[in-house]
Amino acid sequence: MTNKVLDKIIKNILASRARLPHIKTPVNKCDEEGGCGVTGFMASIPIAGKHIYEPSVQMHNRGNGKGGGIAAVGLNAGDLGVPKDVLEDHYLLQVAYLDEESIPQVESTNINPMFDIYKSEKIPTIDDYSSIGLEVKPPDVWRYFVRVKPDVLEKFIRYNNFYDMDQRKAEDEFVFQNSNRLNQTYYASLGEKQAFVMSHARNVMILKVVGYAEQATQYYCLDDVRAHGWIAHQRYPTRGRLWHPGGAHPFSGMHEALVHNGDFANYHAVCEYLNQYNIYPQFLTDTETSVLLLDLYNRVFEYPLEYIIEALAPTTEYDFDCLSPEKQQVYRYIQSQHMTGSPDGPWFFIIARNDPYKDLLQLIGITDTAMLRPQVFALQEREDVQIGLVCSEKQAIDATLQSIAKEDKRFCPIADKYWNARGGSATDGGAFTFTVKDSKKGDGTKKLVTQNKFGQIVQTPENQTHFDIQADISTSFEGNQKTKELIKLFNANDLPALKQYCILKFCDLEFHDIKNLCTTIESCANRGDDKKAIAIDLLTHLNDKIFPTGNKKRSSVLQIIRESLGSIFKSSPKIKDNKNYVYAYIDRETSRDLRAPEGNEKILVVNARDFEPEGRDCDSRMTNKAYRLGWKRYICYGYKGQRFTGCGFGPGSDDVRFDVYDSSGDYIASGIDGMEIHIHGNAQDQLGQIMKNGKFVVHGDVGQTFMYGAKGGEVYILGNAAGRPLVNATGRPRVVINGTCLDYLAESFMAGDPLNGGGFIIVNGIAFDDNGKVVDLAMPYPGSNLFSLASGGAIYLRDPECKVVDEHLNGGVFAKVTNADWKLILPYLKENENLFGISIKNDLLTVDGQSLPFNKVYRKVMPIQSLALGTTKN
Amino acid sequence: MSEIKYQLPETKEIRSRFRNTIGKYIIKRNSKCVSCGKCAEICPFGVHIKPAGHASPFRPVEHKCIGFECKLTNHYCIEHCPEDALVLKENPLLDTMGDYRWPPEMLLGHFAMAETGKAPHVNLEYNLGNSGGGFDKMRFIKPDPGLAIDISDEKIDTSIELNKTGDKRPKKTISMPCYGGGMSYGSTALSVIVGRARAAKRLNSLTCTGEGGYPPEFLPYKEHVITQVATGLFGVREETIQNCPIMEFKYAQGAKPGLGGHLLGEKVTEAVAKMRETVVGSSLFSPFPFHSVYSVEDHKKHVDWMKEINHNVLCSIKVSTPTDVDMVAVGAYYAGAHIIHIDGSYGGTGAAPEIAKKNIAMPIEYAIPKVHKFLVEEDARDKVCLIASGGIRNALDVAKAIALGADGCVIGTADLVAVECVRCGNCESGRGCARGIATTDPELGQMIDEEYVEQRLVNMYMAWRKQWCDILRGYGLKSIRELRGRSDLLVHLDYLDEDERKKYQPAPSCKMVL
Repeated sequence: MTNKVLDKIIKNILASRARLPHIKTPVNKCDEEGGCGVTGFMASIPIAGKHIYEPSVQMHNRGNGKGGGIAAVGLNAGDLGVPKDVLEDHYLLQVAYLDEESIPQVESTNINPMFDIYKSEKIPTIDDYSSIGLEVKPPDVWRYFVRVKPDVLEKFIRYNNFYDMDQRKAEDEFVFQNSNRLNQTYYASLGEKQAFVMSHARNVMILKVVGYAEQATQYYCLDDVRAHGWIAHQRYPTRGRLWHPGGAHPFSGMHEALVHNGDFANYHAVCEYLNQYNIYPQFLTDTETSVLLLDLYNRVFEYPLEYIIEALAPTTEYDFDCLSPEKQQVYRYIQSQHMTGSPDGPWFFIIARNDPYKDLLQLIGITDTAMLRPQVFALQEREDVQIGLVCSEKQAIDATLQSIAKEDKRFCPIADKYWNARGGSATDGGAFTFTVKDSKKGDGTKKLVTQNKFGQIVQTPENQTHFDIQADISTSFEGNQKTKELIKLFNANDLPALKQYCILKFCDLEFHDIKNLCTTIESCANRGDDKKAIAIDLLTHLNDKIFPTGNKKRSSVLQIIRESLGSIFKSSPKIKDNKNYVYAYIDRETSRDLRAPEGNEKILVVNARDFEPEGRDCDSRMTNKAYRLGWKRYICYGYKGQRFTGCGFGPGSDDVRFDVYDSSGDYIASGIDGMEIHIHGNAQDQLGQIMKNGKFVVHGDVGQTFMYGAKGGEVYILGNAAGRPLVNATGRPRVVINGTCLDYLAESFMAGDPLNGGGFIIVNGIAFDDNGKVVDLAMPYPGSNLFSLASGGAIYLRDPECKVVDEHLNGGVFAKVTNADWKLILPYLKENENLFGISIKNDLLTVDGQSLPFNKVYRKVMPIQSLALGTTKN
Repeated sequence: MSEIKYQLPETKEIRSRFRNTIGKYIIKRNSKCVSCGKCAEICPFGVHIKPAGHASPFRPVEHKCIGFECKLTNHYCIEHCPEDALVLKENPLLDTMGDYRWPPEMLLGHFAMAETGKAPHVNLEYNLGNSGGGFDKMRFIKPDPGLAIDISDEKIDTSIELNKTGDKRPKKTISMPCYGGGMSYGSTALSVIVGRARAAKRLNSLTCTGEGGYPPEFLPYKEHVITQVATGLFGVREETIQNCPIMEFKYAQGAKPGLGGHLLGEKVTEAVAKMRETVVGSSLFSPFPFHSVYSVEDHKKHVDWMKEINHNVLCSIKVSTPTDVDMVAVGAYYAGAHIIHIDGSYGGTGAAPEIAKKNIAMPIEYAIPKVHKFLVEEDARDKVCLIASGGIRNALDVAKAIALGADGCVIGTADLVAVECVRCGNCESGRGCARGIATTDPELGQMIDEEYVEQRLVNMYMAWRKQWCDILRGYGLKSIRELRGRSDLLVHLDYLDEDERKKYQPAPSCKMVL
């Protein structure tokens, strides 16, 4: 199609929309709403709706029960009682009737005259909405499978001069405009709302309630309805009294559903921008405007996804400079055209969409340029099934996978890969898509492909297999040469040899044998407290250490290791019975038996599973009480996002130690003053806030605003930190980050003079390859605003090739690492080596196989005397 | 009526720190004086003092002189002076003092209340400023005389309850419908902030640390000290949150919304830097937002965190007043706040930038009813305490704010005026405070001591209390809580017709030299 024709089509669509009735967009949104929790997944096979339940429940504390919604794309035709071709070709029009009496009227004005209806039905619901805890009765939703009547469509095309348009796209536009009119008549123009369209796409279904997201699946009986992609949203509107879910997410433009976590600062500007294109919001929330923007770029301008993302989250600063000149030119055009419509402020979108023209389904996560909202992506790939996930919190991803894996043993409860997007960046573009399309095997199966904004493929190591319970554990436990060897080492209490033996064997052995070895470790652990300690140390080491796993997926190896750890923890004597054993087990149910440690008791094993995430009945409160009773050592496992571990112990907790396993939550180690916390796995957001003193080790990545306002402590991170770590830190924090950080590392850092008792951060810029070998990252620090407006402290950056340049800085200055600097940081690198096995000599100071002196490898970033800070000489 | 269970502190005269006080009038004694002592003999206010054994009278204590009104009495010293040695004039200094919001007479009135614990006997307009709007245009309507009740001040309840949520956290009742706003260690001399804490203890009220750490000097008064957790998190540690009965999240200040707190380099002395664990001489800018809070569910998490650190603490959320302040307030409430503290645009000492101070936030008298009404509609009004601040200058402002819908107020500047701040506005510079108040300079800080601050504040608030009691009695109310939301008792002069307006005291208007 020529540009001229395209132009004409765009003009005609916009002109056609100008004739739609609309309300004047008010200056303010109808509800102030915040953040919320978002979750979604897309799989190569259809998944039942009930699996959105666990992640939604576990993110209740990100909503307030005043709005929840779900969407499904790529539905299973049979579950809806229609043939496959009807599902794919017809529009799945769902109208929510807030007022039952409006049904005949709505049908007679906006449905019956326009559509050929294949099937219409009231979506079945459970009988009593209050039985699932809903306070407001959800609206009756009618589902119509429709096509536009040929004569109506013909008239529509003629009237609007849409002859140049693909007829099917014209039909889409008719459906869009028809819903717009329906909403205008029965919703937007009324004080007492009567009806609105929940969704009208092909093969996409949206349902929402005044309640929590999972209550939508429960109420509308969707637990067993299957779809390739599901998204859910817990809303947090600040207004308390709501009687209908019109403002809840997801929202739909045409063939998509969008959920949003955040709040636009420029809502009115975005509305005005939309108004210029004859689009007038009807539900007056910023989520609606987001999806209208998306629909404008997608269906009217027909931008490719990359350009849509650029228009929403523009590439800025140094990242823009890193783009190729061709890309810069295109992006510059996009930005100059669409900057005023670009949502400002914190936002994170999850979009599930159906592209019937390309025959694909997509799940997309896009973060704003400044990455102000939390986001985690994850991927699991095996030959026969693949699943991609994106959530506000990692624990929700784990919850989804656990839920699915329980039913379908092809899935592993641990993802193969977890990562964050870097907003508006030249590296990944701040967005990832999970696309499901035909596998081209000719058997109708589908395959999932993961790409970033630029279309680069993200994948997990090939030629590795997952653990398959049926196939791999078909034979029961058997003793053999390997287990005997293991027992021998156990008898000798030789932990280093055990570690070495297992790592070596785990690489070559089959899953069946690994399971055997782990079962052996479990049985050794039952032989007494000293053996149990060795078993826990051993399995913890295997859990933390990134070692080669041969032809096996690491996630599956971890699954076996963690199951064994869990059963060792669980087999510890219950606190009620125990007296003479070192380990005492406690969980929510037995928490009332908590008492002071007696006899040999030393370690409280806390099964956090059933504790509340915060408040009176949270595990943090319980361990706090235990501390006052004299407990010092804690092993906490079974987490599903519980928060505040280690908080509230106050100063002088030097002899306390926490070991944290599984899907731990936000704010761990915040405010700690003396204690030691080890997180065995990836961690979440807001860790180590105002941390004063102590030791904090994370065997994985950490999330946003890590160590905000921290005052001290010794901290070691195996992986990466997400956005805004160590902002406003003062005093003497000493931090080693082996990976990198997304953005704004150490903004306003004020930690004195590192050579004179102040604080510093070491960024090593390394990662582990699939074989567990240390490799350099492409960039030790890819973001901008490194050490912005800092007045004290220093960053020691491992950057042998001087890839980080002045443009990354904002107020700092590069300096040479002196002997005094090296003497200062060396002990921390040694402890880092000790904890993670990252060798100073062989890994850090060896570049391209060549051993280099420290000052050729490390660079120092120091504060400069800044006019803005009015620094005076003292 | 509930019996008042708290003990009110005693007032006690506490003199100015300065040899030469500022009065509305000046009295000059010229060389004709023969030191006869007549003036000292007749003056009932102690303007003239000639102690026994002294050859000549002291320099007149000018701020106690009631001026030309005295002509009508039989103790007008000017006329009684046998030698015509005394000259009475209006003090020209007043033209250069204060500003439209805090005119000189309001300053002098508060000096007097802080000195004596009573309403000033000099004719001063200390309830109304000259701003041409806001509280200066609002008046209480004349009460129906039939409503008045005759009970003593002691029987009138001026206390407010800060925890109304009905959660299982402790109740916190303070005896005054107001408490002290945050002033950090670093912004203000240590003796001033500790003196405020001592006064808060005696008044059964509260003061707030501001964002500068928790000096150990607060510990004896910790039940009366709010720990502020602001965006810079300076000096915030677990124990500082465990010390306090109430913690305050400062999201924004009405004086400078969109800006964090800032302390310029000159005030970051060694002691200040040590408390905040930062670099000496380097300006400290707090970020505008909490980097960990970009939305309401983050905020809830933030509040939950504080509640885990201190299992009894109450949470106050301090926000400025954007146009959607009602939504912000109700969101804060649903997230578990006990107190919503809205900070309007008039406040701020000299350190807030002029451009921000005068142009951004919504005036507090608009914000209070907006939030109050919204909370009522949400059925949440009686479950949360609404506190207003930002230019609440005097007892009448407090009463008006309460009548508009607040439960109580937070006071900042008036506390400083009580210890003789003259509102010169040089607060940001280390040695800029001529009165030794807003300074961290060790030498200037010696100008003021804790006992003085404590008693001056007790006096001022007890004088305010008398004013509140008068208002309440007039309307037949026995408790300040009954005044809340009674905006029917207020009128705004601009909305009255000419005749009606004449019934009320006009807004003061005079040209000032600024």
